[in-house]
Amino acid sequence: MNIPLQRYWDLLSTHVKPQRGRFAFLTVLLLTSIGLQVINPQIMRYFIDSATGSTSATDGSSQGLALAALAFIGLALLQQAIGVSATYIGENVAWSATNALRAELAQHCLNLDMSFHNDRSPGELIERIDGDVAELSNFFSQLVIRVIGNIILMAGVLIALGLQDWRVGVVYAIFAVVALVVLNSVRGISVPYSKALRAATADLTGFLEERLAGTEDIRSSGAVDFVMLGLYKLSYKILGHQKKAWMMGLVVGLTGSTLLVVGNIMAIIAGFMLFNTGLITVGTAYLLIYYINLLGRPIRELTQQTENIQNIGAVTERLAELRKIVTRTVEGTGAEIPGGALSLNFDDVTFGYVSAEPVLKNITFTLKPGEIMGLLGRTGSGKTSLARLVFRLYDPSNGQIRLGGVEVRQPMLKALRRRVALVTQDVQLFQASVRDNLTFFDNTIADERVLQVIEELELSEWFHSLPAGLDTRLETGGRSLSAGEAQLLALARVFLRDPGLVILDEASSRLDPATEQRIERAIDRLLRGRSALIIAHRLGTVQRADSIMILEDGRVLETGSRLALASASDSRFARLLSTGLEGVLA
Amino acid sequence: MSMSLADQDKAAQQGKTRHLPAWKVILKMVQFRPRLWLINLGAMVLLTIFWQLPGIVMREFFNIITGNEQAGFTIWSIAALLLAFELGRDASLYGLIRSNVPFFVHTMTLLRKNLLKYILKRPGAKALPDSPGEATSRFGNDVFEIPLFALWLNDIQGIVFFGIVAVAIMLSINVTITIVAIIPFIFVGFIAAAATSKIEQYRRASRRAAGIVVGFIGEFFGAAQAVKVATAEEGVIAHFRNLNDDRRKVALRDRLFNEVLNSIFRNGVNLGTGIILILAGQAMQARTFTVGDFWLFVFFLDGISELATFTGLLVARYKQIGVSVERMTRLMEGAPDKALVEFSPVYMDGHFPQVVYPAKTPEDELNSLHVEHLSYHYPGTDQQGGFHGIEDVSLHLKRGTLTVVTGRVGSGKTTLLRTLIGLLPRDRGDIVWNGARVDNPADFFTPPRCAYTAQVPRLFSNSLRDNLLMGMDKTDSMIQNAIMLAVMDKDMADLEKGLDTMVGPKGVKLSGGQIQRTAAARMFVREPELLVFDDLSSALDVETERALWERVLDGASNGTESSEGLSSPRKFTCLVVSHRKAALHRADHIIVLKDGMVVAEGKLPELLATCEEMQRLYHGETSEEKEERTVRV
Repeated sequence: MNIPLQRYWDLLSTHVKPQRGRFAFLTVLLLTSIGLQVINPQIMRYFIDSATGSTSATDGSSQGLALAALAFIGLALLQQAIGVSATYIGENVAWSATNALRAELAQHCLNLDMSFHNDRSPGELIERIDGDVAELSNFFSQLVIRVIGNIILMAGVLIALGLQDWRVGVVYAIFAVVALVVLNSVRGISVPYSKALRAATADLTGFLEERLAGTEDIRSSGAVDFVMLGLYKLSYKILGHQKKAWMMGLVVGLTGSTLLVVGNIMAIIAGFMLFNTGLITVGTAYLLIYYINLLGRPIRELTQQTENIQNIGAVTERLAELRKIVTRTVEGTGAEIPGGALSLNFDDVTFGYVSAEPVLKNITFTLKPGEIMGLLGRTGSGKTSLARLVFRLYDPSNGQIRLGGVEVRQPMLKALRRRVALVTQDVQLFQASVRDNLTFFDNTIADERVLQVIEELELSEWFHSLPAGLDTRLETGGRSLSAGEAQLLALARVFLRDPGLVILDEASSRLDPATEQRIERAIDRLLRGRSALIIAHRLGTVQRADSIMILEDGRVLETGSRLALASASDSRFARLLSTGLEGVLA
Repeated sequence: MSMSLADQDKAAQQGKTRHLPAWKVILKMVQFRPRLWLINLGAMVLLTIFWQLPGIVMREFFNIITGNEQAGFTIWSIAALLLAFELGRDASLYGLIRSNVPFFVHTMTLLRKNLLKYILKRPGAKALPDSPGEATSRFGNDVFEIPLFALWLNDIQGIVFFGIVAVAIMLSINVTITIVAIIPFIFVGFIAAAATSKIEQYRRASRRAAGIVVGFIGEFFGAAQAVKVATAEEGVIAHFRNLNDDRRKVALRDRLFNEVLNSIFRNGVNLGTGIILILAGQAMQARTFTVGDFWLFVFFLDGISELATFTGLLVARYKQIGVSVERMTRLMEGAPDKALVEFSPVYMDGHFPQVVYPAKTPEDELNSLHVEHLSYHYPGTDQQGGFHGIEDVSLHLKRGTLTVVTGRVGSGKTTLLRTLIGLLPRDRGDIVWNGARVDNPADFFTPPRCAYTAQVPRLFSNSLRDNLLMGMDKTDSMIQNAIMLAVMDKDMADLEKGLDTMVGPKGVKLSGGQIQRTAAARMFVREPELLVFDDLSSALDVETERALWERVLDGASNGTESSEGLSSPRKFTCLVVSHRKAALHRADHIIVLKDGMVVAEGKLPELLATCEEMQRLYHGETSEEKEERTVRV
């Protein structure tokens, strides 16, 4: 058996170490619990010997008997209490450590560049960060509580027996080893059968999933009976495999129980002989039988755990690989970005998600501090990519981008992103409190400030309708919000951050006029004293802009002041204005 | 992002479906395979006996060494008996498995069959109440619960039997000690009953907390760009830590409660044992209670504690089954509630039934099809002045004609086809086939009368042959003809194993166009009277589409007639959605839809002369629609 303990330890050690105290306590509890399990039958022995008067050393008074009985109950209760505490503390250590690992992995992934996120679905990351880590947690409790605990229990029982009579100890030890070896080799024979059963079950699940997704095709092809036949055939296969697999499972189980019976027979014969030769008392005979049955449990458990433990290999490998991935975005050196409204320069910038297919080609333009630029172009013309470069979600393959005169690779990423804000069409809302949604989980922002922004954005009416104020939880995807309210919330987030440049991807869906006006007013207020790049979907919006840039196929088609372009009869912008074809803007 | 568990709980509470009580479903499953169930019960009783006997024999062992031996027992006969009982136990377990495996598989297959049967009866395009994945899980876990509980009834009978025998034997040995030792278990029983609802409550809270954590992971990775741009990484992770910590607390509470409960059960045994010790001390000194008796009492107490634990488990599980039955019933919307447990063969003897496709009768032949005032509005889309769907559409098809439905994206073309052939339940309208009203279009518009190819058809993980035939009895040359008609013949050359090539989600990856043509071949091989195609052009190039129309409409030239004995000059009557010129030019009749309503109909030349919408569609797609296409691709 090859358990990747080193890799496992690498993943968890940093998170278990802070809990060293609890861990030590857990160890003490476990050892005590095991000790009690081994000691308690000794009381039973004492009791039996006293009651039957077979030991001269004890006086067999009824008081002594009652004391022994009470001691038995007391120790049993104590053992239960310790057992419960041990489980609780063990679980707590496991949860705390794995939660810390979850947070570590989540942070690690979140810090990776966008190419990582584009390659992976959120579902896949859930599987890694929650599913796989939960496996580690199971392994922790199984390894520590069950395997190690059971090995110690076994050792304890064997030592107690050896102290009683060394011959018995040796015989039991041999029995335990033989039983473990036999059970482990027998367990192997059932594995291929249970694998075949799992495969057959998976076949049926896959069959059903495909059919449930294709009901329309089945119905209109008149193939209902054919599908039913498929169900019968796959179920019949399961029947065959299940019979075999369960039968093999039975063989494993029976081997275990037969071994235990053999152990019991061994114990009664040994007990009988030793008793007859006067070497042991009745109580000790009782003890011998009790211990052999106590030994049965760890043997069974250890056999069961081996398979579970082996599964951990794939999990640790996946997580270790995830941890190894590094971000391709290089952190800046810490240059300062000036305050106030910021300028933005693109100087011959070329960029492609795949280097062979540039989506932006030799882009050059300048946005002066406080200037508002309207960005137009069809879907796929490169508008969104251009915006992403400003935030260094990607880096250009060629050319330079400067923000407030500073090359964007110079400042720290955080410093850069704090000075630029992006408002996208689809507002990302979380299943969290209104406060967290507005501050984007930044708890350094005071409630007064949040309320002030709500006021400024004319969201007060909505706010007062909330049952718990800022603590009200938003539903998944913001279902309880209208599209307009969601837009306003997105704007509120930007207000709370006070950036020097705002990139605004205007909402393309139409809202009711009243809401639209509210949003217009909010944008007016937002852009005061800031530079802005507005990805426009409507000609109306462009009226706000000082300058216009039109992109086509990743190139600047035309750029200039709005008024100049509008009055030049041969400009694309003027043509757009005259035809009013808004579709071209999208 | 998928629904969180908390939401699912809520949804499940709101949408209560009428369903059979759980006990009735369980009873029905026992009645479905009574023999297997009774064999299982017999094996369980035997198992209980062979479980009990070793305790009684071990008592004799102690009696021997303490000098209280009964007649006939020696250490060797005891050893032999212990071994014999083990063999008896082995035999009982064998009987148990021989009966419970078939009981599981037979009853689960019946339940799955009934579920699938009714799911396939509901209008095909009407979405399942939940995702296919969620529905599949009901075919697994929820179905499994039912036979499991039916068999647990045998376990509980075995344990009760054990309890009765044990108490009787204990009473015969010492009445006082028996009564006093059993008392803790009466308390344990009460605690178990009181605790079951709490167990569920804690478990649900624990699942909900897990759902919130998982949901949040999905949310912030789904919004990774927004998080980065807002430099909210730290805040998000801090929030994530808090959610994790909440979950830890809830999970620990759940676990602690369970542990304490279990410990109470176990302490019942310890307390009982302690009581026996206290009371037995004097009796043992007086030699009225032997060491053997003591052994037997402790042994029985252990068994009785299982009874208490298992009863608690059973009660909790029974509530769970109610939920499972409800979840299954919800998949079968519209079916009578007894449909879930309807008896029918499950063919677990390995003799499977033949798949029979109805042969075409003269009544099946299409002469005319009239559709009057057909309407379907998607649920919840009726708003002031607007709706989503179709409204008041009439159309008339004659044998051997090609009718083309055309219109812009979202004009209701697909909805019209689906509503007509019953994949969507119509709100209003009449469908008349050869002069007779069709009451249930979903059952009626199937082969050999009608076949349909969806815009995005699905193939199943199977050989190409099985995908085409789906159990039909056709020769390879007939299949080749259908492939020819669907212009799939050239693609066949790329498939290494020809008709035996595995296709579908787990097989060879076919292109969208190939899948569509395979689905068309699936339709042709059924030789239906009426062919319904939904927009083949979205996956076919112009050349291929023209070839297809030539072959389908002028099929007389490829000589399939003689082999299949059809006499009409044009084999098929076609109703298709298309905006390709190839189809429009050949159409005998064109229906132009806009916003779910017919704005014009007729032949192409007259429509081009009179209908603005037709001109627009014919002379190229507008830039807007092109945009839409690029976005979708």
